[in-house]
Amino acid sequence: MRRRAVLALAAAVLAAGCGSPAPQEAPVAAVAGPHNETDVMFLQMVLDHHRQGAELVALAADRGRRPEVRQLAARMKQQWADESRTMTAWLQGWGAPLEADQDAGVHAGHGDLHSLRPSDIEELKAAGEADFDRTALSLLLGHLHNTVEVARMESGKGANADAKALAGQITTTRQEQVQQMLKLLAS
Amino acid sequence: MKTKKVILYPLASAAAVAATSLFAVTPASAHGYVSNPPSRQAQCAQGIVSGCGDVVYEPQSVEAPKGSMQCNGGGRFPVLNDNGKGWRATSVGSSATFNWVLTARHSTSTWEYFIGGSRIAVFDDGGRQPGATVSHNVNFGGRTGRQTVLARWNIADTAMAFYACVDLQIGGSGGNPPPVTNPPPTTRPPTNPPPTTQPPSQGGTWRAGTAYSTGSTVTYGGATYRCRQAHTALAGWEPPNVPALWERV
Repeated sequence: MRRRAVLALAAAVLAAGCGSPAPQEAPVAAVAGPHNETDVMFLQMVLDHHRQGAELVALAADRGRRPEVRQLAARMKQQWADESRTMTAWLQGWGAPLEADQDAGVHAGHGDLHSLRPSDIEELKAAGEADFDRTALSLLLGHLHNTVEVARMESGKGANADAKALAGQITTTRQEQVQQMLKLLAS
Repeated sequence: MKTKKVILYPLASAAAVAATSLFAVTPASAHGYVSNPPSRQAQCAQGIVSGCGDVVYEPQSVEAPKGSMQCNGGGRFPVLNDNGKGWRATSVGSSATFNWVLTARHSTSTWEYFIGGSRIAVFDDGGRQPGATVSHNVNFGGRTGRQTVLARWNIADTAMAFYACVDLQIGGSGGNPPPVTNPPPTTRPPTNPPPTTQPPSQGGTWRAGTAYSTGSTVTYGGATYRCRQAHTALAGWEPPNVPALWERV
């Protein structure tokens, strides 16, 4: 919605011949160099993780009892949005689909287990004040561990330098967040 | 639409070829651990204990066949069995709530908790999938002092379990004594006859079915071990396998 409004505004400004462009998100730098199927799968899977986790992180940013939980969730939400924009542009640049083909059998047997289920989100929504932070942090930790696994798969088997750099950055930032969340859970 | 199809085919075939190498190896091996009180793998992931190796990236992957009494289940990450690693003991009262972080929600037979070879709690999920979070309140049955709890998550539809050791200071005496301080005195010279007063201090060869008391010693595989926790030995609990029960002297 908001993006559409911004685009409409930008179009209007351009049409009016005004020189200064409307404030927009910086364009994503094009991805260079060759890539392999691991690079594609990595981007598709992390995009999918971010989609799955969107509601979780929004709930935590909004309803977290402790300010540290809300701040951390808000940072993660922004980070996922930025990464998603980059990853979408890269996949499009490669002419690859944004989602893994569900029929390829790659996720068979494991897709559901490693996913956040709608019931998990419902449990978080229903959590009382005493349980909210623990539930949110436990779900977020599990979610981040899964993202780190995919990033480490990319670091090991990917081919594209940009995608591998992104994977390294994801591993590093997630490990820091894991540490913060484990600390919050234990305090 | 047309381009999508063209791209999907190579992807699908590449995926079929790569499926084992990519997926059977990594994501399939990860599932859950005790986050709080911080288990040994959680302390590695949190950076409290260093030199843990790859378990820092995957504390959820301490998976091994069911039935082990080792902190690593006898599988990867043997560093988790090292009692001298400086694990921080969390101070707790006579009971505590164990919280799990799950990355895959397998149908579950049971969750088990052990101290010194004795099972102190079991929660039977009857093959159900866990909910969003899992936590169990466990009573320590009057045990006090520094203890290592072994937690096991037994998966219903595979032969595997997930293992986590949690170091505790039970009885709220507070603080964190240096690791491995309270098992029987280790300052004595390595001549065996334990000066402790426990009656059955065999000094013989370890045997399943024998009741051992704290401080008693046995030999096994040419080495001598001192009992850290009273227990009745079972097959599979050979001293080198169960550092929670036997300390090599």
